[in-house]
Amino acid sequence: METNTEKQYVSFDRNPRILAWVFIAGCFLLYYSIMTIVAPGRKFKELQESYGFANDEKNPVDERIITDSSYLALLKEKSFLQSRVTLAESDSIYLTINLQDSIVKLEINGVSVHQAEVGRFAVSRILRSGNNYVILSMLSVPLTVNRNFASIEKEPLMIKLAPRDTSEFEPDIIPDTADYEPVNYIMEMDNGTLLFVYQEEKLKPGDGMRLFLFDLRHRIRYEAARFARIVTFRVPEYHPFIKLRIPRSDAKIIFRALPEHGQIAVSS
Amino acid sequence: MEETIIQENGSEQHEVPEISTPGQDAGGEKLRKLLHTLLKVLLIAAIVLSIFVFFVYAVPAISEIPAVVKTPVTNIDSLKKEAGYKKQIAQLKRDVQRLSRKYNSYTSGQSYLVINTTDNLFYLYRNKKLVRTGHCSTGSYKLLKTEEGRSWIFKTPKGRFWIQGKTVNPTWRRPDWAFVEEGLPIPSEDHYSRYEYGVLGEYALALGDGYLIHGTIYKRFLGMPVTHGCVRLNDEDLEAIFNTLNIGSKVYIF
Repeated sequence: METNTEKQYVSFDRNPRILAWVFIAGCFLLYYSIMTIVAPGRKFKELQESYGFANDEKNPVDERIITDSSYLALLKEKSFLQSRVTLAESDSIYLTINLQDSIVKLEINGVSVHQAEVGRFAVSRILRSGNNYVILSMLSVPLTVNRNFASIEKEPLMIKLAPRDTSEFEPDIIPDTADYEPVNYIMEMDNGTLLFVYQEEKLKPGDGMRLFLFDLRHRIRYEAARFARIVTFRVPEYHPFIKLRIPRSDAKIIFRALPEHGQIAVSS
Repeated sequence: MEETIIQENGSEQHEVPEISTPGQDAGGEKLRKLLHTLLKVLLIAAIVLSIFVFFVYAVPAISEIPAVVKTPVTNIDSLKKEAGYKKQIAQLKRDVQRLSRKYNSYTSGQSYLVINTTDNLFYLYRNKKLVRTGHCSTGSYKLLKTEEGRSWIFKTPKGRFWIQGKTVNPTWRRPDWAFVEEGLPIPSEDHYSRYEYGVLGEYALALGDGYLIHGTIYKRFLGMPVTHGCVRLNDEDLEAIFNTLNIGSKVYIF
């Protein structure tokens, strides 16, 4: 009986300590949320510095023009064209993403070589405002892929050691075309934008789980980077994103066709 | 057994005595302890999971809350009447037309071939229209290594190419890797064993750097990535492509 009574007293003693910890945790989460909310604004400010409206001193224009609907519609058209023309001038393979028409195209030198329909897409809020002068100016420059994270290999190399003589020679095995692997990848662009391309279909029972794990792994990676910045009292980096769901075969073709540091033109 | 519990106000509460055997009491106590431990573990797991969900799922969602880009799209009549505005709009229209013309000029009306190395398919275009499509075979992505440190990657190059030469009844001059691959000694440059007749089909179109579009005797492998970098076609498709494309015609490989 005495032991029970002591226990009760001890738990009452611990309550203020628990409350203090809860309070500290709450404060940290609040600070964390505030820093997270501040990040997109900071990113937009950076973009504004690089792509903001600069009035020509010789031919000054009324700054209200950058909010005019006709002007913005033309600017949007010009921005996407400008980006594609820049890419077409190179010999490299590039990707164009037209979110208005839900179409992605692989192009070489201005010639469309492959086209895929986007089943579903999600775009971060900053890019959703496609009628903003800063965003349109930013998209008039092609985005360059810095890093790729994928569930498939870019070049599925098979290493074969040369036989020392004819007795060691073995004819090549016919490739297994039924070999199946889900196609999901993330492309990190030079301006911080993330392009997520996930296969639309769930062809095998484990596909959903594999996509969940793939997505989770990369979420943890980005969130760890965010955490590291916030706990050191720095505003975290904000990554605008474009998430596309396209058929598996198209996703595979696009990933394999684009060079390691491929370029992308986007119209939001 | 009588149990006394000290309440917050300090008063004592007497519970109704339970009649139980010592064995049952010990078992009940064990069960209570077990349940208590289980609850503690579950509580800790729930807290850890909540923290994880917060950081991994809620935080990215929170970052999308602020509407940082405020775009009040306007349609001001007085602005539209200004000379500066008209000049800007006219300039933009000119730019769009110029860029559009330039962009469309890239796709010429000439015949061209598109090769998809992922699915091993080809598409033949004439006057911007698809006239023929079918299976082909492209590079196997095999990396052949020798003990001496030489290596070759058998992949079809990607990008824009053009037809640099056309040959009827081509002869295959076997490169070094063809011997290395089979464990044969590498012969001299002009040795007769380097020349094979009839294995490339009736036609060959050169893309440069030794890469060819040619026929094959291994038709069952069409549609598969099995070549050493060349593009293999069946006889009918090869003939159609040979007759459609000229020297200088573009070939787009992706």
